[in-house]
Amino acid sequence: MTQRIRKREQDPMIGARIRGVLWVAFALFGLLLIRLYWLQVVQYERFQALSENNRLRIRTIRAPRGQILDINSRAIAETQASFDLVCTPVDVKDLEGEIRLLEEIVDFDREEILEKLRDARKSNPFSAVTVARDLSFEQVSVVEFNREELAGFTVQVEAKRSYPFGPAFAHVLGYVGEASPEELENSEDDLLAMGDIVGKYGMERRKDDVLRGINGGRRVEVDAAGRDKRLVEEVPPRTGGIVYTTLDADLQKAAEEAMNDRAGAVIAMVPKTGDILAFFSAPAFDPNVFSRGIRKNEWKALAEDIRKPMQNKGLQGTYAPGSTVKPFVALAALMEGVQDPKAVVRCPGYLQIGNRRFRCWREKGHGTVDMYKAIVQSCDVYFYTMGLRLGPDRIAKLEKDAGLGTITGIDLPGERKGLVPDTEWKQKVSKERWYDSERAILGIGQGAVHITPLEMLAGYSTIATGGEVMRPRLVKKIVSMDGKVTENPPQLMRKASWKPEEVAFIRKSLAGVVNDYGTGGAARLPGIEVGGKTGTAQVAAVKGKMIKSENLPYLLRDHAWFVAFAPVADPEICVVAMLEHGGHGGSAAAPVVKAVMQEYFRKKQVEQAREGK
Amino acid sequence: MIKRGKMARLDWQILLLALLLSGVGLLNVYSGTRVIGTAGTPLFVKQLAWICLGILAFFACYLTSDGFIEEIAWPVFWGSLVILVVVLAIGKVRGGAQRWISLGGFNLQPSEFAKVAVVLVLAKYFSDRYHYGGIGFSETVPAVGLVLIPFLLVALQPDLGTAGVFMIVLVGMIVVACVKGKVLLLMGGAGALAVPGLWMMMKDYQKQRILTFLDPERDPLGAGYHVIQSKIAVGSGGFLGKGYLRGTQGSLRFLPEQHTDFAFAVLAEEWGFIGTILLLALFVCLVYRGFHLASRSQTRFASFACGGLTVYFLAHIAINLAMVCGLFPVVGIPLPFVSYGGSSMLTNMMALGIMANLARSRFTFQGGGERSISA
Repeated sequence: MTQRIRKREQDPMIGARIRGVLWVAFALFGLLLIRLYWLQVVQYERFQALSENNRLRIRTIRAPRGQILDINSRAIAETQASFDLVCTPVDVKDLEGEIRLLEEIVDFDREEILEKLRDARKSNPFSAVTVARDLSFEQVSVVEFNREELAGFTVQVEAKRSYPFGPAFAHVLGYVGEASPEELENSEDDLLAMGDIVGKYGMERRKDDVLRGINGGRRVEVDAAGRDKRLVEEVPPRTGGIVYTTLDADLQKAAEEAMNDRAGAVIAMVPKTGDILAFFSAPAFDPNVFSRGIRKNEWKALAEDIRKPMQNKGLQGTYAPGSTVKPFVALAALMEGVQDPKAVVRCPGYLQIGNRRFRCWREKGHGTVDMYKAIVQSCDVYFYTMGLRLGPDRIAKLEKDAGLGTITGIDLPGERKGLVPDTEWKQKVSKERWYDSERAILGIGQGAVHITPLEMLAGYSTIATGGEVMRPRLVKKIVSMDGKVTENPPQLMRKASWKPEEVAFIRKSLAGVVNDYGTGGAARLPGIEVGGKTGTAQVAAVKGKMIKSENLPYLLRDHAWFVAFAPVADPEICVVAMLEHGGHGGSAAAPVVKAVMQEYFRKKQVEQAREGK
Repeated sequence: MIKRGKMARLDWQILLLALLLSGVGLLNVYSGTRVIGTAGTPLFVKQLAWICLGILAFFACYLTSDGFIEEIAWPVFWGSLVILVVVLAIGKVRGGAQRWISLGGFNLQPSEFAKVAVVLVLAKYFSDRYHYGGIGFSETVPAVGLVLIPFLLVALQPDLGTAGVFMIVLVGMIVVACVKGKVLLLMGGAGALAVPGLWMMMKDYQKQRILTFLDPERDPLGAGYHVIQSKIAVGSGGFLGKGYLRGTQGSLRFLPEQHTDFAFAVLAEEWGFIGTILLLALFVCLVYRGFHLASRSQTRFASFACGGLTVYFLAHIAINLAMVCGLFPVVGIPLPFVSYGGSSMLTNMMALGIMANLARSRFTFQGGGERSISA
């Protein structure tokens, strides 16, 4: 019984203390209950969203870019499968360590990638960033083998832009690349996402809205290691639209081969429609390099090359036209009635103006020359004389009518306009009047005048059509993503009111250049009458003795021109070739034009033979 | 005086609570470990085995004769100290801490058992020195010293959580054992002064955890990851939960330690607020029952021991839940009966067995004996 008594004695204080601790316990449980209520009821939506964010990843399925086809419906730009290394920044455990490991497997610019991933981590850590494109099979297996160490990195099959003809179409088709931050910001439709491929140059850029598809997506459930566990939802991507061009891959290749790594431009066009059959600028670059992501050193090499491979010389390079302007000068003389075609000018090898002697390219002179002979032999003295008689304004008017020194309106970004000087221009640049010397050399396409090869082509096409200036056309037809067909018919820009018989005379003279022992004999084709004109444009005025262009430093050498159409009676094709610092038009440029024409007529013959059967 | 059998005098309520909680824990362990591909026996089967062993341990403790537990309090305490020293010397290192001792295939965590030993020895110490007007300062200091030995041994492992539990149990016992009020205040002040010293003793990862607890976002993928993911799991459970076996935070392994220290997060995610209330209710009942037994016990030793063991349970429950809810730094404190773990299960069952033993009425007549603390 003593125990009972002791218990009663101790009870009051112990009981009170225990009650106190019990209240503390209740308070703790109350606190926990409030906390749980806060987390699970009040903040539920926030945590629910965070949990979904944890669990669900949206894997973009990039839309394949639409094809670009040539005139025979061959793909000249297409989309192929490529194994790409992508990174979901939020799943990366140790960025620097993993990049160090990757460096041994994949070839990429470490600093660039690190910066890109750090940015992505901040801005949008849940969406995948492409780290390297077009991995080889070996690289893919090594990456897969090291999965555990490469948390956040996966190999995905992605669409890769591919150009089967490599550098041949580099400038006209352009290239693609990842959308820049500015492009993302300026995107009108909001459909552009980080890492999307957009056209950066050439037709890829101009027709980007057609070619770009709409990305699809895959909503997947992932575990904490970022591994896909379950597909929740998938929206397939939509392939971009198709662009049908007027380009002919065979002619393009012929042009590329004929240029043989010399700098310059070759363009071929159908005079009646303005269809561009070939458009090659040299030196070119391989647009496939841009598809897989160009590296800094590769870009630097391209950007610093003195031959400017990144420039489309066909529409961005302007050059003194030299003798190629002579047919326009002659036509102006005919139209303005300042010179009868039969009237002769004596060429002793030079023309004396004041105290200066203007030399003819033929030191011993051409003797007496009429207009036909002047064009065929490219007599400079005759055209100095025409230059003086016509004056800059009348020459400029006709040349501009033909399309020189004007925007041709080709459907490519970055076209530049040349300059055909007239009095208005002269007034603008200096208050002085035209000097005779200036007037004279405009007759042979020297002086202030400079034009693009595309303008030159447009001008000769106008001669070929007898005055119709067609807008150069690259795109025949567009079939958009949703199957809508948009035709792009030939477009007449304007019609010069030239007398047919006068134009015919010029054409006849141009035929003589090629076929009548003229300067363009190198462009002669068997069975087809080719009419054209050579041009050797002086880059630097060399005082005193005649120095052969080949003996000058590269950048001072003459530009070589040749423009021609064929057949002269009813021209189907007009081709210009301009070789930057290429020397003589007749020897350097004419064979290039010939090669393209030859290919054109060979194809035509094959086609006719097939149809004949 | 009819001496009834021991089984007839068993406090069935506390055993029932333990079994209910273990059942919930078992279901939860199944859900939490389903996705972890461990070789050999599935963890929930092991947990079931531990529950069965735990029930045996409960009865082994319960069925000891009256007064036996009080008698062995000191030997058990010294014994547990020896084992803690052994652990430090030869124990297994896991997760940066030396906490485990291998015993024929099982990894035991002696610090779990040491907690009970500390409670018993403190109960013995205080009940022997109890007198009216409360225990004074000079008698309290040796008690603090007693606890400091296992505290330091465990802190050296290092296992900050368990060491902290020793301190909390000590404070609880000091309160329950009627130490004078002014001594309590004095010790509180001393404790506050000890905090900077503790900080100096901590390992880097422990400091990191505390800093991260104060601001989890400072390292969301590193040290703050546990807390953030745990809160997401709890919060995304919502009112009704995502459904059993359908929690994504757990099954997709965003949760760390999902079957051990963070088991409650799995439960909260799958069963929602409803589930957490029910679990909380079970724990409240357990704690209430524990304190009830403490106040009803017929010896001071029994009262102190029951009170201390209940404080031990309360400390585990509160720290674990607060940690999972982001109210407390991440420490390795399991949730009694719910977290997976053999040592913890055995210890908890033994603790309940001891409580039931001590609270067992020793006499057949119960006149006035049924007292309640809430009365």
